[in-house]
Amino acid sequence: MGGHRSRRVGQAIEFADYQEYLPGMDLRGLDWRVWGRSDRYVVKRFETETELPCAVVLDLSGDTGTGKAGLGGYPDLDRSKAGYAITLAATLLYWLHRHGEPVGLEVVAGTGMPFSSLPTRGGRNHLQLCFLVLASAKAGGVAGLGDALARVGERVRRRSWVAVITDGMEEPSTWLPSLSAFARRGADVRFLHLFDPGEYALDEDRPVLFYSPEGGDTLAVDPVGAREAFGEVVAEYVDEVKGGVVRFGGRYLPASTGQPLETLLRRVIRGAA
Amino acid sequence: MSFSLLAPLALGLAALGGLAVLAHLARQTPQDRVAFGAMLLMHRMVKRLRRRRRIKDWLLLAMRMAAIALLALGAAGPQVVYPGGVPEHGGSGRVVLVIDRSLSMGLQEAGETLLSRARDGATGVIDGLPSGALASVVVFGDEAMALTDELTTDHERLRAAVVAIQPTNETSNLQAGLHEARRLLAGEPGEVLLFSDEAGPRTVPDARTELEALIELGSTVLPMPVHADPPRNVAVTRAQYVPGVDGGTLTLRLANYGPDGLEVACEVTLPDGQSIPIFVDLPPAGEAEERVTIPSKALGGVGAAVCTDPDLPADDARYFHLPRVGASRVLVVDGDPGDTPTRSEVYFLERALAPWGGARSGVALDVVAPTGLTSLDPDVHRIVFLANVADPRPFGPLLTEFVRKGGNVVLAAGDNITDDRYNAALGAILPAPFRQARSLTDADEPGIPLVLPPTTDHPLFKPFSRSGRAAFPKVRSHRVLTLDAYEDRPDEVTTLLAYEGGIPALVERRIGQGRVLVWTSTVDWGWSNLPLQSAFMPLVQGIVRYLGGESGSGAARFDGTVGEPVRIPLPDLAVEPDITGPDGQPVRSRIEGSTLIFRPDAAGAYAVGLPDAPPLAFVAVNTDPLESDVRRTDSVVGIERELDPERFVVREDLASASFGLAFVLLVLQALVAARTRGETP
Repeated sequence: MGGHRSRRVGQAIEFADYQEYLPGMDLRGLDWRVWGRSDRYVVKRFETETELPCAVVLDLSGDTGTGKAGLGGYPDLDRSKAGYAITLAATLLYWLHRHGEPVGLEVVAGTGMPFSSLPTRGGRNHLQLCFLVLASAKAGGVAGLGDALARVGERVRRRSWVAVITDGMEEPSTWLPSLSAFARRGADVRFLHLFDPGEYALDEDRPVLFYSPEGGDTLAVDPVGAREAFGEVVAEYVDEVKGGVVRFGGRYLPASTGQPLETLLRRVIRGAA
Repeated sequence: MSFSLLAPLALGLAALGGLAVLAHLARQTPQDRVAFGAMLLMHRMVKRLRRRRRIKDWLLLAMRMAAIALLALGAAGPQVVYPGGVPEHGGSGRVVLVIDRSLSMGLQEAGETLLSRARDGATGVIDGLPSGALASVVVFGDEAMALTDELTTDHERLRAAVVAIQPTNETSNLQAGLHEARRLLAGEPGEVLLFSDEAGPRTVPDARTELEALIELGSTVLPMPVHADPPRNVAVTRAQYVPGVDGGTLTLRLANYGPDGLEVACEVTLPDGQSIPIFVDLPPAGEAEERVTIPSKALGGVGAAVCTDPDLPADDARYFHLPRVGASRVLVVDGDPGDTPTRSEVYFLERALAPWGGARSGVALDVVAPTGLTSLDPDVHRIVFLANVADPRPFGPLLTEFVRKGGNVVLAAGDNITDDRYNAALGAILPAPFRQARSLTDADEPGIPLVLPPTTDHPLFKPFSRSGRAAFPKVRSHRVLTLDAYEDRPDEVTTLLAYEGGIPALVERRIGQGRVLVWTSTVDWGWSNLPLQSAFMPLVQGIVRYLGGESGSGAARFDGTVGEPVRIPLPDLAVEPDITGPDGQPVRSRIEGSTLIFRPDAAGAYAVGLPDAPPLAFVAVNTDPLESDVRRTDSVVGIERELDPERFVVREDLASASFGLAFVLLVLQALVAARTRGETP
């Protein structure tokens, strides 16, 4: 993957093939001779860079079915956090595939899918299978993030690249330690913390009964009076998650459904928070 | 203090408080349901707010219930009744203004006296009376006086009478003032407006019975404020002379009735004009005692201790008696005690020199038998009076030496006198050698009269300078002691009085500073009628004064209080004595039986005396020390409140306050509710 430096730099490197240049690729890989002959931008590919297993872990628990900050121009899938997450996951998989990386998909919770776990493989057919799963997936159920992440962590291939897309709406203390399973496998984890800015801002303007799609009690709250206190709680929670992710070896990236998808993708690919 | 409700049943509205509870419990629950993906955070927020919310919820409930309770209370018409109110005057149509003009009303504050305030207040009340209202004015000090005979509608007359009220130095007899007011009300209810400082420890308590009577009558006594705040006064409450070391001690007691300590400059003025300045430190609301040493020589009479303060000048001075200090005692040698008082020379001498007895007299008589002459002390006795002493020979040298050293001897004749013995013993100091006694007429005849003194220039006759000389020819003697022929020599031998025919009656001899006077007749009824004549007392006192050098040494001492009658028991006198006030003006007096009575209206030294004679008595008149206490210890309102509590209560209507407080609580709870609205899950 052009975005990744080989961990085996210095060893024997064999030329594999050419690949069309895509925006975001390292310009150092451009083959200027080919450009001179055919006016095409191609990048040389070497054997050592082709085999970076990539996996996307997607949380589609019931809570991700809420939210309404979908962006025009993208499949909003009911304008929910889940829609944004599915779109994000599909785009990431496609982009990784185009870069020749073998990809895998792990869906946590969710309903309507023929499979919830697809191992890391290359090939167009495998990608189409991933898309099939994503297209049929709907938010639902309870994630049980602690167990799910621990289980997936044990399954990923060593030294792989993993994107975890979740809203993290379970007690962080119950699932943050599970991220250590990825660290033990030497995985490079991108933690995409999914949230709807409207929910964090508690932007309802009248007293309503709030309930969780995953079940549990309802709460009658007047958002106008509770907004300030809720903001404090949100800030504390984000800090808690961010600190936990970093502590267990991951990179924290806030994934607001209110921001353009390409902006988030650029950050994910570059690894910049 | 008590609490009452005009409409107690309205308290049932308090049950509405239950509505507050129901409203609190059945709080509005929103109906719209919204799926929320961050319920984890919502639960965290609710948990955090629950503690705060719980307190606010109870606060809200309490405020709502209190508001409803207050609304119900307000509807029930709550009233608080507590003592402290004073009814206002007006409305009765029968008003008596009682004005205190005692000494303490002279207290000054802010440039005016309390009495002037009282006058202003009273005139204001009169001006505000309805035209048909019946009114009168009573003034009181020691006694009370109504300024009109009965209640009147002539307000102009009352106003003029009030303006003309003058201050006195008398005590406060509030009881008398109220009694006079009750008399004017003539058994019907009315209002008594009291303009008084109510000062002094007894003023108000002593008036309790009159207050009871007025209240029973249905009347109200309403004090009108004329008090100084705080009252201040310094007074000399006691001045008493006690003989002792040197010239004795004058003990002064000063009282400070103000709240602050202070140093007061005082001045003690003795009867002879000597002045002794002192300074006295007075504690706040306390007393101080100061002792002033009297000089070893001072004339007797009435002195004054003056401690000036600006608050109440009328009681700044306290007058006290001071006896003659120094050698002023008279040694009377009784040579013929006699079987009855009228046959005793000493009896008449005592009555003449100390008419009210030795204790009150300015002259101290030491009466001894002839053998007692050995007690003669030149440092103490200035005069030796030998009354019909038979044999002076054992004491001749002593008396001669006494005279040569400046002493004075008066010899009175009698049946016991023997010329040989006197000539032998006292020949060196007699005006002329004695000869035998001789009868001028028969004993049952009136005797030979004295002739008028040739001149009144002699100090002995000063008291008789105007008209008293006429008393001398009434003195008659039928037997006298004769002397060898002699000639008057200025400054040596002088015939002061003589009988018709030139027979010497009173002869003086001077030997240096000493003098010897010989009365050639008796000082009892034996040979003369002198003791029965009006000239006797002033003559004998004049002799003592002349020889002792003290004016008024024989005067008696009495004390009096301003405004209260002074009663002086009179000795047997042929003429009525006069009384002279401190200002030198005669004071009106009357005699009841053998008692002279007068009523002083100012403090100071009053002199009682016969015309043209030295004072027979001094009266030191002072203000009543109780009147100097300008502090209020009791109040008329206080006693009235005890006697009739219902009239002196304050009723406060709390309905408005209840409604107002309920409104405030409702607003507050609305604010709190608005603030906690969103925090309620």
